Amino acid sequence: MEPTYHNGGVNFCWRLRYLFSEPKRPDVVAVRFAGSKVMLLKRVVAREGQRVEFRDGKLFVNGKEIEEPYVRYPCDWNLPPRQVEKDSIYVVGDNRSMPIENHHFGQASKSRVVGGPLW
Amino acid sequence: MVRKRYLFIVGLMVILGIVIVITFSPSEEKRVKKRFHLLSEWVSKSTEENAFTMLQKMRDIGSLFDEHCELKTDYPSLSGSYTREEISTYVGSARSHVSQLSLKFYDLQIVFPEKEVAKVTLTARLTGTSTAGERMDEIRELECLLRKIEKKWLFRQIDAVEVLRK
Repeated sequence: MEPTYHNGGVNFCWRLRYLFSEPKRPDVVAVRFAGSKVMLLKRVVAREGQRVEFRDGKLFVNGKEIEEPYVRYPCDWNLPPRQVEKDSIYVVGDNRSMPIENHHFGQASKSRVVGGPLW
Repeated sequence: MVRKRYLFIVGLMVILGIVIVITFSPSEEKRVKKRFHLLSEWVSKSTEENAFTMLQKMRDIGSLFDEHCELKTDYPSLSGSYTREEISTYVGSARSHVSQLSLKFYDLQIVFPEKEVAKVTLTARLTGTSTAGERMDEIRELECLLRKIEKKWLFRQIDAVEVLRK
């Protein structure tokens, strides 16, 4: 999530953040793995039913280009359109300077969203 | 009267012995966790590791696996069925390309779906530095199946769970 959040930095997770609301673009969310000890911080770029794609590093949701001021590094990603499934969100990190195959991103079940960073 | 007292003492000692055995003998869950602890220890590599330790670890790693172990990962070239010898060779080869390696397991959830079978869901984190100085940091959620053969829990199947699907 560079440069928004630094690798290895300490963050507090606000677990009640999505108690009465749903994650939406451009929220930063904590996505859990098997338990709660290891999590990823990712940005929500699309919600269920939306179509997401990358063209020359630019994000398109439902065919419309999305402004992303938090992406500071150059990006040349291309990803064919795909629809976000029911009860899922599409998350991507802010650091998109690496090749697309090396970046951990994609569709995640909403049940894996633990909350969001406190600040 | 004396005989009764002896019987009482013997009975007490038997009960105490049973309690001690139950308390201090590791549960099946602990035995399964121990296998992950060993895997972590033997895969990990410090910068000071000598050739003898390296060879010993390579030999030991194979003993944690069943005769054939299925591996399913998001790298198609890595997925497949491996013998314990192949696993030892593969891990040894991978370790030779790194100067430092650390494998850690978190959040182990262990269930026993049937007798002598353990299913473990966990998060694995592999960090290290290649001999070329490149940093690596890989995290995966894994589902592992272990079988108990001759009183030893052996890895039979390791599946990588797709947390984020591109």
